[in-house]
Amino acid sequence: MDKLNSTLTAVKNLRSNVRQCFEHLADGTDGEGGEDSRNKFVHDFQERFGAINSQMREVEQLINGLQVPPTAYSLGNTAYLAQETSQDRQALYPQLVNSYKWVDKVHDHSFLAFNNLNQNTLRRSYNYCSQKRQRLPFSSFNNDPDHIDKLLSEINTPPHTSYRIFRPFGTNAVAIVTISNVMKAAIVFKGVLIEWVTVKGFDEPLEHDDLWAESRYEVFRKVQEHAHSAMLHFFSPTLPDLAVKSYVTWLNSHIKLFLEPCKRCGKFVVHGLPPTWRDLRTLEPFHEECRNC
Amino acid sequence: MGVTVLQPYPLPEGKSGAHIIDQLSKRLLSLGATHAGQFLVDCESYISTPQPHNGSPGRAVHVLHDSEHPASTFSIIDNGTGKQVALVADNSFDLLMGKVTNTFTSKKQTKIESRGARFEYGDFVIKLGSVTMMEHFKGILIEIEYKACVILAYCWEMIREVLQGFLGIGVGKDFPSYFATQTIMTAMGQQQLHAKHNDIFEPMDTVKQYLEQFTNYRKHVALLGGMGSGPGGPPVHMSPSVVGHAHRP
Repeated sequence: MDKLNSTLTAVKNLRSNVRQCFEHLADGTDGEGGEDSRNKFVHDFQERFGAINSQMREVEQLINGLQVPPTAYSLGNTAYLAQETSQDRQALYPQLVNSYKWVDKVHDHSFLAFNNLNQNTLRRSYNYCSQKRQRLPFSSFNNDPDHIDKLLSEINTPPHTSYRIFRPFGTNAVAIVTISNVMKAAIVFKGVLIEWVTVKGFDEPLEHDDLWAESRYEVFRKVQEHAHSAMLHFFSPTLPDLAVKSYVTWLNSHIKLFLEPCKRCGKFVVHGLPPTWRDLRTLEPFHEECRNC
Repeated sequence: MGVTVLQPYPLPEGKSGAHIIDQLSKRLLSLGATHAGQFLVDCESYISTPQPHNGSPGRAVHVLHDSEHPASTFSIIDNGTGKQVALVADNSFDLLMGKVTNTFTSKKQTKIESRGARFEYGDFVIKLGSVTMMEHFKGILIEIEYKACVILAYCWEMIREVLQGFLGIGVGKDFPSYFATQTIMTAMGQQQLHAKHNDIFEPMDTVKQYLEQFTNYRKHVALLGGMGSGPGGPPVHMSPSVVGHAHRP
């Protein structure tokens, strides 16, 4: 190994000396044309040339002294350098083009998704992105309290339903609706927009400090799920008053939650639950499983 | 707290109670109900001593416990003319009854209880109870509770459908006899029709239904005159003509 190393060093030295020699030749004399400088130049060249010769001999001697190694040297990753490097055989290019196309697609799609998500109508309180919508009188979330009081008192309540309104969060109102002896619902307003609805059984407590806990009964947890999807359905930023009125009418149809059989299958109980879904337009009762078929 | 309905199950000839309970449990489990523990309702009656001499029935105090309300003792005072006073107290009420033996003595031989498995199905709680008096099997009482509703009139059709679904017998469209409209005297002394099925349900209503059924079983024994415990349900509001129509059209 040492021999090989010294041989390689000798080759390196030889190469650098040859290079220096040719550089010297290329530089030439300093151009003054003096005899001294010309002699000095020739002398220098001869000296360098002699050095090259002696190094050449040294390299030859070292090479002759080298033995064929008994086993192949392990060269690590450098061994791969000797392998085929032609582009056609590596097939890198088509892969590169493919990944470029994909990056392009991802960029396009994310751009579209970004635009769509920004226009999402389910984000109801604030809507920054759409220029068009901002020009509409979209101020339903900062209405004054008097307007909400008036709106809630205008809702023509059926005799079996009672409303209790209080304001635990500053100006925003919370209405506790008690529908006959069947159920209670807390509607949390933000301005005139409905932000949240909690549905509980008639015998469960529903107070201002307990607005977010779920009902202990499966049926009312299911009704609450449906109440949330209806809340999104009735949402209308341009006509918020109408949205609240239609929503409350829909909610009132739960008075016959346990009394009416499903319109489709005609049964009362499916999977231990009464028909919990009320159609958004006709207010007809359906089981969750029956409403889509 | 919800609405509870008690339904006696008529024992068919030649079938043992354990066999029926087993069959009903299997049906409930395949319906999707889950087994949720055991339950026990017991009733002990005390009668006043000495007995009145004019032949009128003596006053009685029925003391009941319900495992659904483990911290309470329910007592119903019956003055013998059909008027009942109900009282819910802590468990220490039992000790009090032990102190008043000189006016009320316990009729040990009429101690009756219903015990068995408890199932949950959605918001329904279904209990399959076998009634025993003095270790003798008397019959099967099915208790079904719908926890989410507080008024029977609202959810009776639901309860009826579930009952028919797993009992396989028809259940009459009318409200159970306990909830039937009855005439009551108001505080002003006027007679007035009162529809009990529109009232908000209370745990005492469950207990009163149990007492009603237990009394039926005891009467049945009294009628047989100690001839042993024969099978067969007490008179109930279930008409045989509807048997077989398990499902509504």
